[in-house]
Amino acid sequence: MAIVTGSKFSNAIRTTLRYFVILLVSLLVIFPLYWMLVTAVQAPEVTLRYPPVLYPIDPNLKGFHAIFFEKQMGKWLINSGFVAILTTAITTALSILGAYALSWFKWRGKVAFGLMLLFTQMLPEALIVIPIFKIYSNFHWTDSLATLSLIHAAFVIPVGVWILKPAFEGIPKEVNEAAQIDGCTPMGILRKIIIPLCSPAILAVGVVAFFASWGEYLIAVTMISTEGKYPASVGLASTMSQLDTPIQTLLSGAIVYGLPPVILYMFIQRFVISGLTAGAIKG
Amino acid sequence: MNKRSSSRFSHTKLPYLLTLPIILLVALLVVYPITQAIWTSLTDKTLGAAVDTKINFVGLRNYNSLLHSSTFLASLRITTTYAFLNVVFSVGAGLLTAILVNKKFRGRGGIRALMTAPWAFPDIASVIIFIWILNSAFGVVGILNQHLPFDTSGGWLTSSPYAFVSIIVMSMWKTFPFYSIVFLAALQGVPEDLTEAATVDGAGPFQRFKTVTLPSIRPTFVLLALLAFIFAFRQFSMIYLTTGGGPERDTETLVLAVYNTAFKYYDLALSSAIGVVGLVVTFLIAVVFLALQSRAEKSN
Repeated sequence: MAIVTGSKFSNAIRTTLRYFVILLVSLLVIFPLYWMLVTAVQAPEVTLRYPPVLYPIDPNLKGFHAIFFEKQMGKWLINSGFVAILTTAITTALSILGAYALSWFKWRGKVAFGLMLLFTQMLPEALIVIPIFKIYSNFHWTDSLATLSLIHAAFVIPVGVWILKPAFEGIPKEVNEAAQIDGCTPMGILRKIIIPLCSPAILAVGVVAFFASWGEYLIAVTMISTEGKYPASVGLASTMSQLDTPIQTLLSGAIVYGLPPVILYMFIQRFVISGLTAGAIKG
Repeated sequence: MNKRSSSRFSHTKLPYLLTLPIILLVALLVVYPITQAIWTSLTDKTLGAAVDTKINFVGLRNYNSLLHSSTFLASLRITTTYAFLNVVFSVGAGLLTAILVNKKFRGRGGIRALMTAPWAFPDIASVIIFIWILNSAFGVVGILNQHLPFDTSGGWLTSSPYAFVSIIVMSMWKTFPFYSIVFLAALQGVPEDLTEAATVDGAGPFQRFKTVTLPSIRPTFVLLALLAFIFAFRQFSMIYLTTGGGPERDTETLVLAVYNTAFKYYDLALSSAIGVVGLVVTFLIAVVFLALQSRAEKSN
């Protein structure tokens, strides 16, 4: 049953207006990224023209060549990949255990554990990165990619736990009762039932952890001092601070480094949102 | 399903073993550094002093000088303003755009995917783009300064108040799409029969929004406002790499003050004291978050 609230004419105006605003917002969102792509493939002479040319002329890939061969982008990406994979492994494993304890068990300290995670999640890294550096340089653990991924993991684990907890809670009780009757231990239930059933959420934790580490700058720049060990965030930031770097090179680096997370995140949007908002939307 | 009924095991020591690795990690990398920061804040330690320099315990002297430091009080004000404007503009823009795309239309899926792009894009890459766009000699937006009625010749990122405006705009670009997607999820949970009933009762679109939509997305609204505040409070790299806290110290938020005080002014003790103030703020935000959450649970 349709209820007509306005004339067809005013409806048409409203729809047009809506599309117009939607288009405008989309353009604002996409423009910086579009401009990055245009500048990255454009010859420098064209880039510096006034007024600016809004589409690529004489596209070439010299910027990509330069960021890989004049700078060490390849090495930086490998370093970032290494730190991110290690962070992902640690975060996924520990988040599964933590979420299991929080969702299926009744124990003293459960509330305190949840509070500890919440506080860690909210804590600005900048407040404690200096003491972390001071402490671990005494042990000569700084300037190490493995240490870096441990620190990254500590800050992402809370998000991982909040993503997994509702998924684990959603498994029907009958399932684990049946498994218990069959003689399954709690760890067996985790391994044989929960992990397979919740694999999409676990995958989402992996992706979140990977790109949280991939995008992180502050801890990386504080902990890593050898240029050969730079992850891509630090490598690009240091390239940016060298004022003679052509803008084409710099933006090519931003594309290679920045687009993979954008593409992957589009697929796992839903899970990421529930994790970052601490599952609090639905109460 | 409420939380209590979902606990299925209660008899084992297992939960302590399960959580032990996380507790160890947090103890080593969060709790212990915090105790160190608190201790350092009570001394006169500087960065880069000779190894044999004696470090003296000075009690609350650093906190006392913070109270009388106009830069510190300014940084508190900058942090609050930055966070507040983020809440207003980013969450506001998020809500507006979510309402716009809530109705079905052609290409909606594409728009939603597009909205993911800015917040998935790493901070450093965004910084590179914005520095380029705002470049006052060649940037596509930066060159507008020749045509504006106010004087921006000092550069968008290097003169006040434009540097502050620029980081707000940049943060907005980066975060509002995220809020939009979360709002959209909430809007789709608004019961349709309620909206229809309101329409039958003769309510116009604005009235419908006020009486039906707004009350049902209110928890989301409050949550996102708080999240926006937290994100803004934590934001370091985007500000640090664009303005570095400058010009002068006009965009130096609290987290930047911690870093700059240590690495630019070599005062490790004072930096730690600012950090401890930040920890207290974090703690207070966490308390507010919990209070809101428990209120939301009660009303469910």
